[in-house]
Amino acid sequence: MNAGMSEELAGNSEIEQRTRVLLIESTAALSGAVRSRLTQARHAALDARAHGTRYRLQRWLPAGALAAGALALLVVYLPPHSHPVPTTAAINGSIDDIDLLTSDVPLSTDQDVDYSFYEWAVDAADNSGGAHASPAAVGSNGT
Amino acid sequence: MRESEDGAQALDAFLAGVERKAFRIAQIALRHEADALDVVQDAMLQLSTRYSSRPAEEWKPLFYRILENRIRDVQRRRNVRNRVMAMMPWRGGEGEDEIDPIAQAVDAGPTPATEIESDEILVALERALQALPNRQRQAFLLRNFEGLDVAQTAAAMKCSEGSVKTHYFRAVQALRGKLGDFRI
Repeated sequence: MNAGMSEELAGNSEIEQRTRVLLIESTAALSGAVRSRLTQARHAALDARAHGTRYRLQRWLPAGALAAGALALLVVYLPPHSHPVPTTAAINGSIDDIDLLTSDVPLSTDQDVDYSFYEWAVDAADNSGGAHASPAAVGSNGT
Repeated sequence: MRESEDGAQALDAFLAGVERKAFRIAQIALRHEADALDVVQDAMLQLSTRYSSRPAEEWKPLFYRILENRIRDVQRRRNVRNRVMAMMPWRGGEGEDEIDPIAQAVDAGPTPATEIESDEILVALERALQALPNRQRQAFLLRNFEGLDVAQTAAAMKCSEGSVKTHYFRAVQALRGKLGDFRI
């Protein structure tokens, strides 16, 4: 910073004082229309601020209430342990199943069922009192 | 609630205190009354809705930073528009967006001779200010007209305090060169 600049900043020079006075006077001479527009703009800005605060509250209030309600429901209706604790019987049953699965005896399947016997039994029940056909005879009919 | 009302009153008083100077700064920079009113309104809105919760002593530099940003936005839009218009020769003669110097002239009204002279000086001053580079004009108007100190001006201009001093010094020199020893 040179000496001239320091001097310039130290005290307002004449031209600075004059320009300042002129510009400040010019603000007093603004037209009524401009002054009115500025006032309207100020009020609009203040309204926007008020609405903004209210809007933010209105926006977050329902969401907050909903979240609090959901939390209360969870606390009231959820059991302390969400996963069921296995009972002794269930544990014993599981052990029995393991025995069954690991045994050498083959599990029975549908192929082993003799359907002819059941069909004979149904027919016999329907024809109760009549002649009873033997299961072998029913099976031999190819049904 | 009471605190909010106090805040609104403080903000109202602040905006009422700066609005005319802000308008004049924007008007000198943009040379257009309607655009100047628009940027002042935008700056007020943004300060109110986004920054009014900040401490009141920060409002002035914040407000003028917003205002300068808005002024720059308008100037950029104009530059782009002018370039586009320059590429459309058939639009050149319409001049619908041109600034009417008569409409933009200071409304002197029926004034005595001294006031006419004063208005002429003001017009000369405005022209001299408009001829300054943007940063010099900002520094000069914020420091000299609005009365911000160097730190506040630096905050408003988003630059260092040294830059503010340099811009201000050059602005004063340029104005002195253009206006000489004009008298009020």
